[in-house]
Amino acid sequence: MWNRLEATNLMDVIELNELTKRYGDTLAVDRLSFRVEPGHVTGFLGPNGAGKSTTMRLLLGLDRPTSGTAHVNGRPYTSLTKPMREVGALLDANALHPGRSAYNHLLCLARTNDLPSQRVAEVLELVGLAGVARKRAGGFSLGMKQRLGIAAALLGDPGVLMFDEPVNGLDPDGVRWIRGLMRTLAAEGRTILLSSHLMSEMALTADRIVILGRGRLITESSVAELTSRFASLEEAYLSLTAGDVEYGSAAPSAPAFDDRITR
Amino acid sequence: MRGVLASEWLKLRTVSSTGYAIGAATAMIALGAVWSFYVGGLADERGSVRAAAPEAGFLPLVQVSLAVLGVLAATSEHATGTIRLSLSAVPKRGVLILAKTGVVAALTLAVSLGAILTTYAVSRVIAGDRSLGFNGTAFANDLPGLLASALSVAVLALVGLGLGFATRSTAAGIVSVVSLLFVLPGVVRYLPSPWGQRVSSFMIPDLVPQMAGVRFRSGGAWQDGMLPPWIALLAMLAYAAVAVGVGYWSLKRRDA
Amino acid sequence: MSVLAAEWIKTRSVRSFYLVLLVSLGTIGLGALAAWSAVAMYEAATPVQQARARIANLEEVVVIIPQLAMGVLGTLSITSEYATGLIRLSLAVVPRRWPLVIGKAVMLTVVGLVTGSAMVFATFFVSHGILGGRFPVPTFQDQLPTLVTTSLTVPVFALLGLGLGALLRSAAGAIALLVGLVYVIPMIVGHLPDPWNRWLGSVMIGSLPRQMTGADLTNSVFGSELSPIAAAGVLLLYAVLPVAAGGWRVCRADP
Repeated sequence: MWNRLEATNLMDVIELNELTKRYGDTLAVDRLSFRVEPGHVTGFLGPNGAGKSTTMRLLLGLDRPTSGTAHVNGRPYTSLTKPMREVGALLDANALHPGRSAYNHLLCLARTNDLPSQRVAEVLELVGLAGVARKRAGGFSLGMKQRLGIAAALLGDPGVLMFDEPVNGLDPDGVRWIRGLMRTLAAEGRTILLSSHLMSEMALTADRIVILGRGRLITESSVAELTSRFASLEEAYLSLTAGDVEYGSAAPSAPAFDDRITR
Repeated sequence: MRGVLASEWLKLRTVSSTGYAIGAATAMIALGAVWSFYVGGLADERGSVRAAAPEAGFLPLVQVSLAVLGVLAATSEHATGTIRLSLSAVPKRGVLILAKTGVVAALTLAVSLGAILTTYAVSRVIAGDRSLGFNGTAFANDLPGLLASALSVAVLALVGLGLGFATRSTAAGIVSVVSLLFVLPGVVRYLPSPWGQRVSSFMIPDLVPQMAGVRFRSGGAWQDGMLPPWIALLAMLAYAAVAVGVGYWSLKRRDA
Repeated sequence: MSVLAAEWIKTRSVRSFYLVLLVSLGTIGLGALAAWSAVAMYEAATPVQQARARIANLEEVVVIIPQLAMGVLGTLSITSEYATGLIRLSLAVVPRRWPLVIGKAVMLTVVGLVTGSAMVFATFFVSHGILGGRFPVPTFQDQLPTLVTTSLTVPVFALLGLGLGALLRSAAGAIALLVGLVYVIPMIVGHLPDPWNRWLGSVMIGSLPRQMTGADLTNSVFGSELSPIAAAGVLLLYAVLPVAAGGWRVCRADP
């Protein structure tokens, strides 16, 4: 039942069309259109505040788009009746009740989509938390919380997966584990959208890259193509996003900032 | 829907605050027993006393404890960020809030009914055949009042749930419920007559005796209800419906 | 002094502070509304009814709103630090913990006193202006001691909230307990048989402002067993005991 290869996954696509989200005066996402296809890991890059997390929230129906559409498998997320069986997401690893055990945390989610409790045990085993399943999640390290968040995303064995900064707080073993997991999930024919700031890690994990800056699409390309045009993925990223950094910390705007404070 | 109900029930029973709230509410039974022993002792000295019934006197304790439970059922999701997980698993806001409403209503009604009926029974047993002022009437006569009290607790819990979703803040949610239960009735009572009385009769504390159709003490004076029981019942249910409606509207309209 | 300044910045930079101020000062409007509706009633009444018309001192009625609001502000001033983890940062920059607690207490006392007296005095003058001599109400000179003692209860609530928040570290628990102490227990005390209702009623916060003025309290719903000095002492204990207990907890436990 949980073997991905038995299912058809021709449907497993993420599709944004002119997606726009405005918070007051700021445009967080600006007429964004792209497609994420199954079978490989798509890296989702951009400086802080570029709109990556907002895009993911819009895809999950948590925020309402100002205009445009965000569809998963051809439909808005909020119209799915058993969404966890189609889409899994890790947005914020800290989103858990500190007093609840890891097992109960996942069981609360599993119940809503009629997933058996045996599946909870399976994903806990898969992410390596089986030994602490009955412990309070509030006592977990950030790395353990990330694993628990990934377990929640995998609960419904979905064809589409979104991960927002899953390697944050993981030790080197954990980082390598995520890399392997992402590649395995993609090889099973799933659609994976993965955001991260670790360029070297992204170069090892992703096949395709989507880069955002100030809510707009900057580049949609394959890793191979980017690394052939630039020295490395990091170089490609820094060059392409140079004008779109929010806090003036990147190379082009930094001298101006220094001038201002030394004057 | 069954799955979502099961999930909400699991959420509620796997946090320690639920246990504390139920513990505080059921403390009514012990307090009621102590109270009955105490006034029973007074009656032995003086012959008879006119004491308040413990299930009525300690009702605000149950109301506040379980209203806080209702508030936390909503606001703990916002405080911990799990609301985003919950809405990812159940994207239809109406289904999520309906399930929470059902579970909170069922639990608080069961707990309050249990606490109130047990307090009633224990205090009558302790009272025996002494005349304590509250034990002279038959159970059948008292039953409507007991049911109305328990219903008021569930309604307050749902008001807490709805206002918790609307305010997304534990502090604001609790303060809103408390205002409805204590502050507003206290202020309204001082409106000049007949407005004070008219508006008072729609306040939650005064709706309880009016639902049961009994005389009650409001602002120090004994009075008959102004509202027939079925109007009082509708007014009580309207509190819950309006608050949950506002919570639903807020959850649907605002970004999570 | 710098601790105090930091506490003041922390307080005034969060939204809940303005909400509490708004609610507290909004009660002046509520008092005005009550006075205005009383006037409308009075004008519609017969001369005989007008001669018998009475009205409560509105500032003493509506003060429960700023009391509760300030209690919540006091609670949140400490529980929000624990909820957000800010407490670790606060204790890293002010490692000695008593100054942190005392800084919060002083800040809350000042905010509570200013808000409370502004609201109490404004409600008195606004409602009297609206009533315009239609009801037999006390003069300013007669009412002044009660206005002062009523104002004093507002910072006491802020400190009570701070103490309970520091003790329980949970906004829900502390506010529920605050509500229990100020609303639920007085209601239960009112049901107690004599003399317990008088004895315990005398130490309820609501009965203290009037007892502190030494006024005649034969019609009070509470008891009136305390001398003015004793009543002032009890009011002080409501503030000092919880802050001391909460401060002790902050100093003893790991954040």
